[in-house]
Amino acid sequence: MDKAISFEQVTHTYQANTPYAQNALADVSLVIPNNSFTAIIGHTGSGKSTLVQHINALLKPTKGSVQVLGKVITSATTNKNLKAFRQHVGMVFQFPEKQLFEETVIKDIMFGPKNYGVSDADAQQAAKSAMKLVGLDESLAEKSPFDLSGGQMRRVAIAGVLAMKPEILILDEPTAGLDPRGHKEIMDLAQQLHDKDQMTIILVTHQMDDVVNYASQVVVMDEGKIVKTGTAAEIFADPGWVYKMQLNLPSSAEFAQKLVDSGVPIGKLPLTIDQLATKISQLVAEGADTDE
Amino acid sequence: MKDIIQVKNISFNYADQPLLFDNLSLNVHEGEWLALIGQNGSGKSTLARLIDGLNVLKQGQIIVDGLLVNDENILDIRNKIGMVFQNPEDQFVGATVEDDVAFGLENRQVDREQMHHIVERSLKNVNMWDFRDRIPANLSGGQKQRVAIAGIVALSPQIIILDEATSMLDPRGRQDILNLVREIKAKNHLTVISITHDIDEAAGADRVVVINHGKKIDEDVPDKIFANTEQLEQIGLDAPYTSQLIAALKGKGVNLNQQYLDSERLIAWIKQLVSNK
Repeated sequence: MDKAISFEQVTHTYQANTPYAQNALADVSLVIPNNSFTAIIGHTGSGKSTLVQHINALLKPTKGSVQVLGKVITSATTNKNLKAFRQHVGMVFQFPEKQLFEETVIKDIMFGPKNYGVSDADAQQAAKSAMKLVGLDESLAEKSPFDLSGGQMRRVAIAGVLAMKPEILILDEPTAGLDPRGHKEIMDLAQQLHDKDQMTIILVTHQMDDVVNYASQVVVMDEGKIVKTGTAAEIFADPGWVYKMQLNLPSSAEFAQKLVDSGVPIGKLPLTIDQLATKISQLVAEGADTDE
Repeated sequence: MKDIIQVKNISFNYADQPLLFDNLSLNVHEGEWLALIGQNGSGKSTLARLIDGLNVLKQGQIIVDGLLVNDENILDIRNKIGMVFQNPEDQFVGATVEDDVAFGLENRQVDREQMHHIVERSLKNVNMWDFRDRIPANLSGGQKQRVAIAGIVALSPQIIILDEATSMLDPRGRQDILNLVREIKAKNHLTVISITHDIDEAAGADRVVVINHGKKIDEDVPDKIFANTEQLEQIGLDAPYTSQLIAALKGKGVNLNQQYLDSERLIAWIKQLVSNK
């Protein structure tokens, strides 16, 4: 599988050469394959945002190099050359609806492509297909984005990123503050962009159930370092370690752990509700002994 | 039990928009933890704003601790209520954590000496005294909410309204903040209204009011509300985790004649089932 992104021994120091210098990334190496769905997890301040900001060249490495779709960024890359990176890497920040500003939905979505010199007609075309992609009805095009619901506003903001036709999409806690229905809509959209539109998705999240349900690869960060990479099953196999990283287990693993603590012999912790229900029904059928 | 807030037959709409509340009534008992649940846009936050006099009613009345919400009483009412919003960034004004907590007291012209004591006590209350010289913007989400809560505690309100106050936090930060509010509530005999779409947050309440499209569609103890999983799903909320597990078990032929149990009771039931065979 081709790699979309690779980090080679990347260190990022904020306020370098000052007494406040602080390493936010320390010697990070990572490969993100093309068309993968990668979740990046870690407690607040572990370096997740700093990491993803290198992928769309909002930050340059202090040391080491980042390769994105064949282009290399090092500390020596001039700022002028960074714009080309961003065109292929869409970034949806937390609470992206705060960045909406145009009079109408369609104008807001067209802003990005136009900023990259796309003609009005082409930008409009791109905006229309982006609206379709995120499931916004065409009738909303001429409405003010500020008259929409929270979930709809967020989809307008995401459409604005998708209108640039990025190959890589970074989602930084895209569902924060949404109700369960809005949450599911946005996550299903991410999955669709990955499955049908062949995009490489990078999800920064605190929600371990989303990690289990959507991600093919999980990267765990702590103190600016990547401390583990693997599948969800590999990452959550050691609950003690997960807690030490100040992370949570997926809901089913957490519930299973409580059952284990009260003496029900669950064995390996299940990650999904279906796995847990299967395990319990087996135990009931077998008539297992609880160890008191 | 005394009703500390009475919402009586209120109607309200934002300019040029349809009625959000049409003849809504509900009461909040003094000293209880009331969860207001409903999906985004259901009117939960607007209700909080009406109680705090931030929006003006079209019809009906709201009474807070015996005072009618109107222009004349509004300052007294706001002194009784502390609100914590979803995004703490929206509520910081001070250059340092300490200044920020002092702001509300300065506004109320509290004597300087006394102010220092109150700020110290409030920050210690939320375990943020060591951070008093820090810039609020550089704190984590959970720390920011702690500072916001300290600012409220400093003003010793009778009622705290949490408006999606934990929805930006990670699961651990969320639990920390809820535990903190629970502690402060017990210590200061407060009434807490938590506006949320997080079912697990609502599970810890004494009572739950379900709002949908501006209407109160249900009102009961959490056990009863959560037993009605169809209703929760209809209005776009998740069933609690334990209900989802009960349903999944039913699918595998393990039947419980109830749709909801809290974690503790469900664990006890599973344990008994497994060992009885």
